[in-house]
Amino acid sequence: MSTRNTPVRWVRENLFSSVGNSAQTVVFSLIILGLLRWLLGQAFAEESNWESVATNLRLLMAYNYPTGQFVRIWVSAGALFFAVGLSFATWNVRPMIGFRRLLTTLVGFGCFALICGLVTPGTTPSVVRTSMFAIGGVLVVGGLAAGRLVPRAGERNVGFGRLLVAVSGLAMAVVWLVPFGKHSFIDGAIAVERGVTIASSTKMPWTVLFAVLVSTFFAGRAIAVRIRKQLKIALIAWWVVGPAFVLFLVLRDPAFDWSRIWSVDVPIAAAFALGGGAVLYVLARPGREDLARVVGALLVGFALLHWVAGFAGWYGMLQKVRISFVLLAIAVLLVPTFAGERRARLRLSGGWIGLMVVLHWLITAINTPSTLVISAPPFIGGLVLTITIAYYVMLASFPLGVLLSLARTSKLPIFRVLSTGFVEVVRGVPLITVLFFFSIMLPLFLPRGMGISDLAAVFTGYTLFSAAYMAENLRGGLQSVRRGQFDASDALGLTTVQRTVFITLPQALRVAIPNLVGQAIATFKETSLIAIVGGFDILRIANSTIPNQPDFLGQKRPALLFVALVYFVFTYSMSKSAQSLEKKLEAGRVR
Amino acid sequence: MTSTTHATSLAADSQRRPPFWRNTTLIKWTVQVAVLFTVLAAFWFLITQARSNLSARGIPVGYDWFDDPANFQLGEGIQTVDSPERRLTMSRALWVGMANTFRVAIAGIIFATIIGVIVGVSRLSKNYVARRASSVYVEMLRNVPILVQIILWLAILGSIGALTPDTGPIKGWVIVSQKGISIPRVFLADGFYQFLSLFLLLSVGIWFVRRRLVARQERLGGNQHVGSITTALVVAALVVSWFANAPMAFLRGVFASLESAWGSIPQVVVQVGLAALAVGVGALRVRAFLQSRRTPAGLAKLTDDDWFRLLFIALVAIVAAFIVLRVWPGLSSWLINSGRDFFGVLSDKFGDGRGTRPLDAMRPTLSTGRFVNYGTTGLTMTVFYASLFFGLVFYTSAFIAEVVRGGILAVPTGQGEAAAALGLSRGQALRKVILPQAFRVIMPPLGNQYLNLTKNTSLGIAVGFSEIVQVGQTVYNKNSQTLAVFSIYMMFFLACSLTISSIVNYINRRLAIVER
Repeated sequence: MSTRNTPVRWVRENLFSSVGNSAQTVVFSLIILGLLRWLLGQAFAEESNWESVATNLRLLMAYNYPTGQFVRIWVSAGALFFAVGLSFATWNVRPMIGFRRLLTTLVGFGCFALICGLVTPGTTPSVVRTSMFAIGGVLVVGGLAAGRLVPRAGERNVGFGRLLVAVSGLAMAVVWLVPFGKHSFIDGAIAVERGVTIASSTKMPWTVLFAVLVSTFFAGRAIAVRIRKQLKIALIAWWVVGPAFVLFLVLRDPAFDWSRIWSVDVPIAAAFALGGGAVLYVLARPGREDLARVVGALLVGFALLHWVAGFAGWYGMLQKVRISFVLLAIAVLLVPTFAGERRARLRLSGGWIGLMVVLHWLITAINTPSTLVISAPPFIGGLVLTITIAYYVMLASFPLGVLLSLARTSKLPIFRVLSTGFVEVVRGVPLITVLFFFSIMLPLFLPRGMGISDLAAVFTGYTLFSAAYMAENLRGGLQSVRRGQFDASDALGLTTVQRTVFITLPQALRVAIPNLVGQAIATFKETSLIAIVGGFDILRIANSTIPNQPDFLGQKRPALLFVALVYFVFTYSMSKSAQSLEKKLEAGRVR
Repeated sequence: MTSTTHATSLAADSQRRPPFWRNTTLIKWTVQVAVLFTVLAAFWFLITQARSNLSARGIPVGYDWFDDPANFQLGEGIQTVDSPERRLTMSRALWVGMANTFRVAIAGIIFATIIGVIVGVSRLSKNYVARRASSVYVEMLRNVPILVQIILWLAILGSIGALTPDTGPIKGWVIVSQKGISIPRVFLADGFYQFLSLFLLLSVGIWFVRRRLVARQERLGGNQHVGSITTALVVAALVVSWFANAPMAFLRGVFASLESAWGSIPQVVVQVGLAALAVGVGALRVRAFLQSRRTPAGLAKLTDDDWFRLLFIALVAIVAAFIVLRVWPGLSSWLINSGRDFFGVLSDKFGDGRGTRPLDAMRPTLSTGRFVNYGTTGLTMTVFYASLFFGLVFYTSAFIAEVVRGGILAVPTGQGEAAAALGLSRGQALRKVILPQAFRVIMPPLGNQYLNLTKNTSLGIAVGFSEIVQVGQTVYNKNSQTLAVFSIYMMFFLACSLTISSIVNYINRRLAIVER
């Protein structure tokens, strides 16, 4: 074959085709090699002590969560791996990957490791340099050999399940076989046992976690053949509610006062869930729209009365009862939108009951003090805090962002002005001022006797900030909905709310998904700012806790580089999956 | 029922007004006004709470603390310490913080753009190494939070050598040490404002001359040397205003008299003027609205919605006038004072009538292990400035590179092929055909990145760089005036974002394709 791609030919065509091209090759190679050498020099400088990271891994991940209670962290991680494995199977991400492509990636990584080994400066420990060469050599030789030996390598594909098993197996092999040493921090002094594999209190849980991941993946794949739709709904519900469950029930371990719960909390929740569900079921019958509106208006007045009474001090009432009344009023006002036959009404009532159960349980769990004995108040810190905050901010700002974007694109001038003002002001100021504002001013804004924890205040501010950006992203989606859709829904006789909920929003959300994923990435990155306003997230620990430990005085660079790496791994994988999602959406759009 | 009676009953239906509880216009406006009222009430409630909570701690809310002495030092900036001849008040400290923010933001925008354009263009290069290297650059930098990068830069810069008199790659000229980086600098000397005003004055004349020249060019044709004559005149104007700027010192007196004139405006006049402005704007809006409802057959019948709109506009105007007149007289006095101070500052900028050099230059100077402070030394980046600057520049340049790449990809490939067919080299095609077209696509997101960079300067607080947020924090830690300081933050950053977005919009309008 004359057009066969030989490496020499490729190099000649791509790197040295002309004088300018050769010059580019040389200049860029020198720059990239120089930068790589500089970066490796920063990582392995003589005064850098990577034991500061190895010893403080637990601190970086979960801050000062009590050691005896660590099983809770593992259980939470197990819940996460469980959900991830099932979701992989249910949504069938990337069913196949080309074998040739996989090999190319491996060889590329191998080459990179070899180059790192070559350019790394003399301060690098010899074991690191040797392992760079070893890994690089194995990957390059293995990859090339596999490409030659396996017949018809270009046509083969590797299934996702096999890849998952391979990666998990490799990770476990590394954990069980490589002598990283046992690093621990006992009574303020580091204790290192070199030349052995890491402590079994670490490697056992990880093994179980990966086993959970792989087994749920295969189990999920088997189940999803039959009940994919129900599994999807259950998983979405778990992704929305599960983290709260894990956080407040497993990690925080609230000291429930069961007698009070049975005598006060459960009756209230049951009354609202069942009573409200019944009211909704009755009102949602077609032809009772006007009755529902009247009842809704009365309920709004009733709910407002409680708030006014609360401020004026006429009579006492639990806050969650007030909130539930407001929610019920809104739900009744929305009833005409979802009215329909028995099935629709049952779904409506069921949704309400679910909302009430989750809400009342959450309020109870948040208001109950924790049994964990922790020296510094927030019970979470480190990477756990980073992920938690990012997750909840996205979750909580979503409904708010939808409302703001709807108000901004509505025809009603006051709503439009209010929403535009809010969005533009928030987008005009930096996040850090918003966070400072809320952490300092929110306690001042509250009536006397009411308090809010620092983290909750910061979280509130971050949610409002994120909602403004969310609104802006959704606005693009809303504006992309064609005018004909409105005309068609008017022709069908839908109300404005029905049109918005059933016609406009679904289409707008679909268009906005890539932007929303971009915002999720930005939110995750900007969570690092809570380090400035007092949260003990992974950055704060690396920047100020570790360098103040007597054994690692001033050791900033290793920990910070590690933090950068952690963020990079999360963000890069998110952005890669966002790209493939975007391609999927593009392909799915039929025009 | 026949079809005719059905039609008449329908017509009658549309004539009849619905009862008020089914009138959608009324319902919509009621809900809107209720929401507006709720929002305002919530704000009012929160502000009163904050006021009462603050006054319970003995902290009055307001801006009376502007002239209090700042009992702290600033890390760096145009003024860092209090001295008898130049007091460092609280407001002055905030001003220094703002100047520092501008120092980082403007330099950062320039360098981030340069690097970003280079990287973005080489991401589309035909050369494999260039393409790969720049995509690695982009992915590495944009996937690590900027705060981590800034703090990492501080850790890296803090680990290089200590500052001694013979530190640096080029001793005495370029100094790189753990205290910062210093190079020689050119700075504005005393005569700069005289120079600038004279040059602007001469430029007006040059502009007229140029207009005549252009007219002649169009009348006569041929080469009338418009460009070269203009250049020569500009050079001459520069030379003249460099050496003979002494006469412009008379502006000092002009501004001083403007200062006293502005300060002597009675407050009532400003109040009434502002109230009249509010009412006038309201009246204009009403008039414009009525005009839009005018049809050839006279004024159209106003709908309920129109009446509500008119009523709302009138209400807002009256409330604004009332606020200016009765509730908030401080606004008027603030306008008077700040206008007076503005002219006072301007008059201070002009010298005493001697022609002085507008620009001057200096090498880095050291004093016992640290750089001499801003103003009497070379161009020094303290290590705090440098870490913030590097973090901002590299992080933002990765995003700018993506913007540039997207813009270039948005240019149809036919343009590049056509340029190649005409015999342009790749560089020429890029410079003359592709980039000018890509610029239109690039400009709006680029402006967004500039805005992000400006907002991200606030992360200087993490490394102790004295920008506005850090100084503001020091101020409210001293005097607990959080509400006031936060309002200053908000106004400052909103002003920045408005400025940047209006510049971007202006450029965009200029660049827009003129469509026939």
